[in-house]
Amino acid sequence: MQTWPFWLAGIAIGGFVPLFALLSGKALGVSSGYAEACSLGKPAGNERWKLWFALGLPLGGLAGALATGGFDVAASSSAIAEQFHVHGTAQYLLLAVGGALVGYGARMAGGCTSGHSIVGIALGAKSSVVATIGFMIGGFAATWLLIALAGGVA
Amino acid sequence: MKPLVFVVSGAVFGFLLSMGRATDAAAIVGMFRLSDLHLFGVIGVAIATAAVGIALLRRANVRAADGSTIKLEPKPYHSAVLVGGIVFGLGWGLSAACPGTALAQLGEGKLYALATIAGILGGTWARTRLAQRAGAVSAAKS
Repeated sequence: MQTWPFWLAGIAIGGFVPLFALLSGKALGVSSGYAEACSLGKPAGNERWKLWFALGLPLGGLAGALATGGFDVAASSSAIAEQFHVHGTAQYLLLAVGGALVGYGARMAGGCTSGHSIVGIALGAKSSVVATIGFMIGGFAATWLLIALAGGVA
Repeated sequence: MKPLVFVVSGAVFGFLLSMGRATDAAAIVGMFRLSDLHLFGVIGVAIATAAVGIALLRRANVRAADGSTIKLEPKPYHSAVLVGGIVFGLGWGLSAACPGTALAQLGEGKLYALATIAGILGGTWARTRLAQRAGAVSAAKS
């Protein structure tokens, strides 16, 4: 099976939001699942489901990769490493620093690309529109910084 | 509702992210480079579809499968939303992953996603810790 065209993936991802709400009564989100993982030492509150949801994501990724034939544990390098010539330890450092900013920023903004950009904007939330504008500003800035550091567009 | 229901829901969501190439670092770089607009299309169609679905849910005025009231509330707006968003975006660009896609990438066998996930956990922990301290300080003052 091939990966899906943008419209099919968009309908599926967007359609999953009300279906999940109908099933569970909840608005889906991912970044708060990491926050739950960070508070595992404490007694489980009402938010523990977010951790279970997050833990399901790798299983879905596995299913997707098996369906498209893209499963390959030997792929040790992200496209970001190849495009910007960052290899070995430097790549892992870049991914970890990027990840740290993602985690820190998501907790500051109160959500990520799922909870803010898809669910929140669909709900018409001002906070989600502003957060997503921030996501885009940061994303463009970081990518073009990497392009500049790598010496231009490859 | 049982944990398994949420694990399966997360798996479905991860599968959809994978099929939509949201887990493909090249697609994310391409989006910010404006050389591959695929993910802008995915996000745009997803928002529109979710909005229509939510409107239908509201009109139907139904309860969730477990009998609970469906809670779909806008997230609160505050002064840290824009700055937090920009910080998140910088990380999105540097790692070519977001919280959901990093986990789905790991499932796809991309072991380098472990570095991204470790970073996200660290950043989440740091911000939560800082916010708790600030909260403790302001509580002590008042």
